[in-house]
Amino acid sequence: MYWGPTMTLDKNMRILIVDDYATMLRILRNLLKQLGFENVHDASDGKEALRRFETCRYDLVISDWNMEPMTGFELLKAVRANPETAGTKFIMITAESATENVIAAKRAGVDNYIIKPFTTEVLRGKLEAVFHQQVA
Amino acid sequence: MSVATASDGAPFAQQAELDSNADNAIPLREVISMAEKVTAALKPLVRSLDKAMYRELKDMLDSIEALRGDLSKVDPDDIFSRRIPEMGRELSAIVSATEVATNSIMNIAEQVLAADKSDPAAYGALVEQHMMAIFEACTFQDLTGQRVTRVIQTIEVIEERIEVLCRMIENNQITPTASKVSDTEKRNRARLVKGPANQGEGISQDAIDSMF
Repeated sequence: MYWGPTMTLDKNMRILIVDDYATMLRILRNLLKQLGFENVHDASDGKEALRRFETCRYDLVISDWNMEPMTGFELLKAVRANPETAGTKFIMITAESATENVIAAKRAGVDNYIIKPFTTEVLRGKLEAVFHQQVA
Repeated sequence: MSVATASDGAPFAQQAELDSNADNAIPLREVISMAEKVTAALKPLVRSLDKAMYRELKDMLDSIEALRGDLSKVDPDDIFSRRIPEMGRELSAIVSATEVATNSIMNIAEQVLAADKSDPAAYGALVEQHMMAIFEACTFQDLTGQRVTRVIQTIEVIEERIEVLCRMIENNQITPTASKVSDTEKRNRARLVKGPANQGEGISQDAIDSMF
C-alpha cells in the first residue's frame, strides 16, 4: 500500500527519525510526542532507513548526518533520487555545522537544518516552517 | 713549495745522481721505470677504492634521505601543534557540556521539588514542561559521544605514528606505512563528517535559518 506524503502538519503523519545514538532517538521521540506526534518510527542509520522505506512511506524524515555505514546526507540523496520518496519532507538534525555541509544539504534538497543541541521550540519552529502550518 | 729530500737532507734527484755514480747503484732510468710500473700497478686498486667509497657515500646519502622521509611522515609538528591541542579542546568541550547538562537537570529537579502542589492541574503542566527541558538537556550525550569518538580517532593516528617511529628504531629505518591522514580521516572528509564544532567555529542556527 502506498501512502503519499502529507503536505499538512497532521498530528497523525508518519515520521521516521534516524540517528545512531539510541539516546538521541529516545529524546526525539519524546519531544515529538510532547508536540503531539505519536506516529514515530526509528532507524539507526541511512541504510536501515531506506529499508524501512521499502515497506512504508513516510511524510517526514528527521535524520542525523554522521552515521555508519550510511550518512544522513547519503540518505537524503537516496530519498530524493527515488521518485516514490522524492516528495518526503526531510529535516537534518546534526552537529555538523560547517557552512559547506549546510550548502551541500540544501543543494541535495533538504527542507530544513537544525544544529545540535537544539530545543523543543526550535524543532517546533522547523516543523511549522517545513509544512507552512502551525503545530497546534 | 718545499723540495723533497732524502734522509741525509739532499734532494732525491741529486741523491739519485750521486747514487748512479756508485758502482752498485741502480741507474736513475731504472728507478723511474720502476716507479712508473708501480704507479701503473696501483691505479686499478686506487680506482676500486674510489668506487667503493663512492658507493658507501651514496648508501649513506640514501639512508639519510629515507630517514628524513620517514620522519616527515611521523610529522611531530602536526601531532604537537594540531592534534594534541585539538584533543584538549574536545575534552574541554566534553567537560563543559556535561557540566551544563548536569546543572540544567539539577535546576529543573529543584524547581519541580519547590513548585506549589496545591493546584494539581498547574503542577502537572509545570512538571510536563520541565520534563521537556530535561530531554533537551540530555542531547549532550550525543554530542559528547561524537567528541569522544574524535579523540579516539586522534589517539589512533598518534599511536600509528609512534608505532612507525618504534619500527624505524628497532629495524634501523624500515620503510614506514603511516600516512599523514588516516583512512578514517580520509573517509570522513569525503562524507563531509567533521563532528561538533568547537566554540567560535561553525555556522549558527540563526545563520542557517536565513538560508532556508
